[in-house]
Amino acid sequence: MSSDANPGIANEARAGDAGVGSGSISQARAAHGIGGPGPDHDNDGYAAALAFEGLGVSRAFGATQALDRVDFDLRPGEIHALVGENGAGKSTLAKIVAGTLRADSGTLRLFGEAYSPRRRSDGSAAGVAHVRQQLSLVRGLTVAQNIELGRPRRPGTTARRPWPRVFNASEARAEVERLAAELDLSVPADRIVDDLPLAVRQQAEILISLAWGARLLILDEPSSALGPLETEALITLCLRLRDEGTPIIYISHRLPELAELADRLTVLRQGRVVTAGTDVAAADLRRIAELMVGDISLLEVRRPDLELGEVRLEADGLLLAAEHGPGLRDVSLSVRAGEIVGVVGVAGNGQEELAGVLTGQLRPDAGVVRIDGTEVTGSPGAAIGAGVALLPEDRTAGLAADFTLAENLIARRVADAPFARLGVRLRAAVRRHARALAERFDVRPPEPALRAGSLSGGNQQKLMAAREMERDPAVLVAAGPTKGLDPHAGRAIRDRCFETAGRGGAVVIISADLDEVAELAQRVVVLSGGRVTDRFGVEEMTSARLGAVMAGLAWDPSGEAGRSPAGSGAPGATP
Amino acid sequence: MGKLAELTFWTATFAGGMRLATPLIFASLGETIAQRAGVLNIGLEGFMIIGALTSLYVTVESGIAVGLLAGALAGAALALLMVLLCVRLNANQVVVGFGLTILGVGLTGYIFRLTTPLGGERRQVNILGEIHIPGLSDIPFLGEAFLSNSWMTWLALGLVPIVWWLAQRTVFGLEVRAVGEDPDAAFARGVNVIRVRSIATLLSGLMAGLGGAAITTGLVGVFEPAITAGRGFIALIVIIMVRWSAWGVAVGSFAFGLADALGTNLRNIVSDSVPTEALQMIPFFVALVILVIGARRARMPKSLGFNYVPDR
Repeated sequence: MSSDANPGIANEARAGDAGVGSGSISQARAAHGIGGPGPDHDNDGYAAALAFEGLGVSRAFGATQALDRVDFDLRPGEIHALVGENGAGKSTLAKIVAGTLRADSGTLRLFGEAYSPRRRSDGSAAGVAHVRQQLSLVRGLTVAQNIELGRPRRPGTTARRPWPRVFNASEARAEVERLAAELDLSVPADRIVDDLPLAVRQQAEILISLAWGARLLILDEPSSALGPLETEALITLCLRLRDEGTPIIYISHRLPELAELADRLTVLRQGRVVTAGTDVAAADLRRIAELMVGDISLLEVRRPDLELGEVRLEADGLLLAAEHGPGLRDVSLSVRAGEIVGVVGVAGNGQEELAGVLTGQLRPDAGVVRIDGTEVTGSPGAAIGAGVALLPEDRTAGLAADFTLAENLIARRVADAPFARLGVRLRAAVRRHARALAERFDVRPPEPALRAGSLSGGNQQKLMAAREMERDPAVLVAAGPTKGLDPHAGRAIRDRCFETAGRGGAVVIISADLDEVAELAQRVVVLSGGRVTDRFGVEEMTSARLGAVMAGLAWDPSGEAGRSPAGSGAPGATP
Repeated sequence: MGKLAELTFWTATFAGGMRLATPLIFASLGETIAQRAGVLNIGLEGFMIIGALTSLYVTVESGIAVGLLAGALAGAALALLMVLLCVRLNANQVVVGFGLTILGVGLTGYIFRLTTPLGGERRQVNILGEIHIPGLSDIPFLGEAFLSNSWMTWLALGLVPIVWWLAQRTVFGLEVRAVGEDPDAAFARGVNVIRVRSIATLLSGLMAGLGGAAITTGLVGVFEPAITAGRGFIALIVIIMVRWSAWGVAVGSFAFGLADALGTNLRNIVSDSVPTEALQMIPFFVALVILVIGARRARMPKSLGFNYVPDR
């Protein structure tokens, strides 16, 4: 990377007095022939000078192929949206572009030059900034301090910097203030990052990456924790950066927002490109939503016939404020004996809170939860007494990894007969119980003395299922029960869910995996923004309908594709 | 008891406080850097006593300059072990810290026994004299109590602004704070967490070694087993008390030095009515009170004591 290809605003400021370094971002870039004036897509002219190009990019994690021969390109001066469900491979691709992860195969080019970053610092030295969901500013320091912390050496310089390097607080402050003024942001230079609202922290991180000489931005789900006004501000900022010549890879699944912001759009599903670089202005968002979700293969389902009985689980008017995300806003749900209800939606829309409230772990601000008519609201003890079982999404929360299989399997009734007498544990009984149960639920190896943490993910899940489902629960709440499991283990867990329902339990599957829900549930509830936005029988579950409601588009069964309901027309959004 | 009203008693006590504060200043300044970087080195006592012995023995052979350097390097050598175990291999910092304390105290006691024949001569050096600054040192009380120090004390005081500057005015200082607060974010910003923590730990060992040297070579002139007498732990308390501030370390160390000197000097006055042991307890009692009051408000570096293990 030659030094004149990436001057970086920051370096100008450090080069001497602040007056010299007052060039604007657009000037800095224009002077070096980077970027164009706007989204003026002329395919022929850009072919040689793509901002980024990845060809045949693959990456696997163990047996999972996270990316499978993906082609992706970014033109100078455009915002290219990368959309897809959770686990589609968006973040993996972003990390590969940023240099955090290395591709197993494929070639990358950055601004026309071969690009093979080996680590994150190679990416930032080449001018790729990756703003992640969990921001990476050090929270105990000020914004001005963060601008200097870890700042890469000026590209092309090989001279060692002096040690210790003096931190010039007033220069750093001036740099933050100048950039903030230029980008029309109010980022306070001298405030501790921890004290700033999330939106401002995000702006600060974008600002700092520009100061470090970023010429390509990756924003990973930047709006997921922002309110509507903050999202508008973010969109304005992105458009402005684009117009001044910084191309952006924008990862999101919120289609209305992308309609305002993105020039092109690529859909990933299960690690593959479904549509590549569609022009957003001409795209049918409903079709895109459908592509995101993919085909739901109802054909493979071998669902046993379940007989519905009385209502066993009843939740009414649940309201819960959450620190992050929307919490729950008036959610009601009732599940009958022998019924399996799937709660679908993009993660972070209230799923975690719902699982907590239904099992008594969380006390809602309003609303009641009843199991077989007994109120158990906000009382884990009462809920367990009434026969609730929980398979939490985070397995580390459901098992004591350092305890043995046997100990984990009696965790619900340590002091009960036959496992203890007069307060003394009866080891033989505990061991016998563990071996029998582990064999019944196919936990491998069924060795009572083994540490639970030493089992594979699938067997940990089976172990947890064994403990929770051993004595037919009245209500089973399972969050992403087959997430990350191989097909065999996944099959086993699904069968257990059917078994629980078949014995008269009420089952709630909370999952972002639509195939899982399609296979298990008879009824589907869509949770979006903390509200139930749609309910239907599984036979009505189509990709189009699910994609639309999950992406925040209103579902209009007549099929007329209306564009962004939230669109409020930021400048230059839809040319 | 009338002596308590005499100025000479207080002049001597305050001057003693400055002397006794010197080892504490060295040790706690270094430890402040390490703790700010998230490394809790509770083995300070072991570091100090190894520095104390090494420095004295080398001074006997090669003079004080080499002796002090050797004391500091001995501390750094122990710190290297700590870096290896805790920063690189992720061993528990508390366990290793205790281990190094026991190692330091035990090893020095053993070497002392090996090198000192029963009933024989102990190795001895002349302790450092005060530097008389014309004019200033003659100011009544103030000059005699605070400005008549050995150069060891001046060195310790001189390090205070240097450490402050390093922590507050350099990028290294920012990195130290960043890796002590939030190593994951620091790593994401491109800071080499392991390297910064290693440097901070080594600096802490270096200065703890000097602190030990200040006791034997600077104050007492001989080594005897367990001569550090808990000062490594007092230094840890000083840091909590002054909340990881370099200037605070000077003040806090002086407070303990003063309590120590007071205990010693009171012995000459009230030894008939109060047992000596009770007077020797004074600094520890002060420490306990301060800890109970001060630690409640202390806001420690968020990742203090937690090793940094990168994600992948």
